[in-house]
Amino acid sequence: MQLFTIRLLYVLIAVATLAGCGEQKGKSPDQSQKVAVIISTLNNPWFVVLAETAANRARELGYEATIFDSQNNTALETDHFENAIASGFDAVLFNPTDADGSIANVRMAKKAGIPVFCMDREVNATDAATSQILSDSYAGCVAIGKYFVEKLHKQGKYVEILGLVGDNNTWSRSKGFHSVVDHYPDLKMAAQQSADFDRNKAMEVMESILQVHPDIKGVFCGNDGMAMGAYQALVAAGKAEKVMVFGFDGAGDVITSIQQKKILATGMQFPKLMAKTAANYAHAYFHGKRDFAQKVPVTVEMVNQENVHEYVAYGSE
Amino acid sequence: MISLKKYSHIAQFQSLIALFFLCMALALMTDNFMTTDNFWNVMRQISVNVCISVGMTLVILTAGIDLSVGSILAFCGAVTAGLLKYGIEIPSANLYIGFTVLGVVLAGLLAGGAMGFINGYAITRFKVPAFVATLAMLTMARGFTMLWTEGHPITGLGDEFGFLGTGWFLGMPMPVWISGIVVIAAVILTTKTRFGRYIYAIGGNENAARLSGIPINKIKVWVYVLAGMLAAIGGLLVTARLDSAQPNAGMSYELDAIAAVVIGGTSLAGGRGTILGTVLGAMIIGVLNNGLVLLDVSPFWQQVIKGIVILLAVIIDKSNSKSE
Repeated sequence: MQLFTIRLLYVLIAVATLAGCGEQKGKSPDQSQKVAVIISTLNNPWFVVLAETAANRARELGYEATIFDSQNNTALETDHFENAIASGFDAVLFNPTDADGSIANVRMAKKAGIPVFCMDREVNATDAATSQILSDSYAGCVAIGKYFVEKLHKQGKYVEILGLVGDNNTWSRSKGFHSVVDHYPDLKMAAQQSADFDRNKAMEVMESILQVHPDIKGVFCGNDGMAMGAYQALVAAGKAEKVMVFGFDGAGDVITSIQQKKILATGMQFPKLMAKTAANYAHAYFHGKRDFAQKVPVTVEMVNQENVHEYVAYGSE
Repeated sequence: MISLKKYSHIAQFQSLIALFFLCMALALMTDNFMTTDNFWNVMRQISVNVCISVGMTLVILTAGIDLSVGSILAFCGAVTAGLLKYGIEIPSANLYIGFTVLGVVLAGLLAGGAMGFINGYAITRFKVPAFVATLAMLTMARGFTMLWTEGHPITGLGDEFGFLGTGWFLGMPMPVWISGIVVIAAVILTTKTRFGRYIYAIGGNENAARLSGIPINKIKVWVYVLAGMLAAIGGLLVTARLDSAQPNAGMSYELDAIAAVVIGGTSLAGGRGTILGTVLGAMIIGVLNNGLVLLDVSPFWQQVIKGIVILLAVIIDKSNSKSE
């Protein structure tokens, strides 16, 4: 019993110390407002750029900013929201893990009086987030699809490499692409395989596909990492000149490769622009603005070898 | 001992038959499976898994498990790439250290060995279950990779380094050479050395091994160090092949490695199994991955099929060990 009491005492002391730390940090005398940046995953450079730009912009504007990584897990995201609310954050710049699964988290913040600004991906509710600054993947892939059709002269065999098959971005991109390409019966999809948004897997999948279909004319990849992987497989097979590679994201490697005429085109999303807009909106919110547009679409622009000089990695500064 | 030996022969024979039938089926179903190009594709693609699985076999033979190999692979790949590209710069001391390819390879191996040592030390010194210790390392090593790369790939590593992943030597791709050397060394280690016999003894019956004076802790630590270094070799191969160290490289590779070990007839309870069995297991997975893409099977079904193959392999393995 005595041992138990002592142990309990230790626990209480530990808790008190921790709480004390939190207290000091949270309520500094010149209390600046705190912005939480909750990001679906940091396991992909694209999202790292999104997160860091949002946090840095918030800091520039004079706020404290902390990045939370949801690791593509909606339950972990819920924890982050709960923690952010409990530790007194004043706004959330949010990149949802799931359009439906994340709604409850946004509502929870709203209920606690904390504005949420969605970046890049949306939540399927118009009454939850304060504003949603969204990248239109579907429309971007429609544009790529049109360019694809033009470049392949409306005929020939092609390959599609999908991202993670459980990810809704994978399918919005694929559907946008097919909404155009499927209208041309002479364009035949020889293979549709997944490479999990992973460069190495894309290379391996492409190596195998080339064994069966050495005569393909084009490859559409669901992100730029996979486009790089597919391109490397084509180089190794001596087919880099004959097969046109199309990506999506606007990552650094691919922009360089388009400049070097290795890759044909990609869909440029503007993570930096979206992140900065979200941080600016939070700033405006703190200064009393309330009438935000529910959805602010950010167009995905197609980057090809003709216009690549207008772009840098991840858009523009 | 005789029955043990006989057993492992049967298990290997089984994997060989399974591989043979798989290849025959694929040869009949597609024209493009039995080609030289495709053969080297498959061999190159499995080389990373072979390296990791060999390390995993050693660990599992001692009745342990190593879940951290995928993350260690990513970290060592990133360390190698980062040192090669940027070197070490300490502005305050006006110091810059550049690295040759050999230098970064050694640095990568050292990093892998060090992480393996931490695994082994936690397991033997603090009696942390291997599952937990290496699970912790899985997370930590991934975190270190993110810190080192700041979440961005390190790209553009030069042709000399790229040769390790994409080059050919005497008609065979470099990754196949490297993984082949790893396999031969591991076969010799497990079958011809005292260290190898100790590994089997520890996995077979740890108490008996301790009583017969085998330095269990020392052997175990070394086994995890080797597993870490082999993961580092895998990291080198992945990085050299892609000309890029990806922060998310090697995700769930530990599961592919465990699958190869299990399909190859090694018992998760330890003490029973062979390196060559594991190599066959890795080949079965590699051929299956390749074949499913050649046949353009839907990505959804691919996962189901791979799961079924693993399950079948273990069921056959179990029914065999009972009949003995």
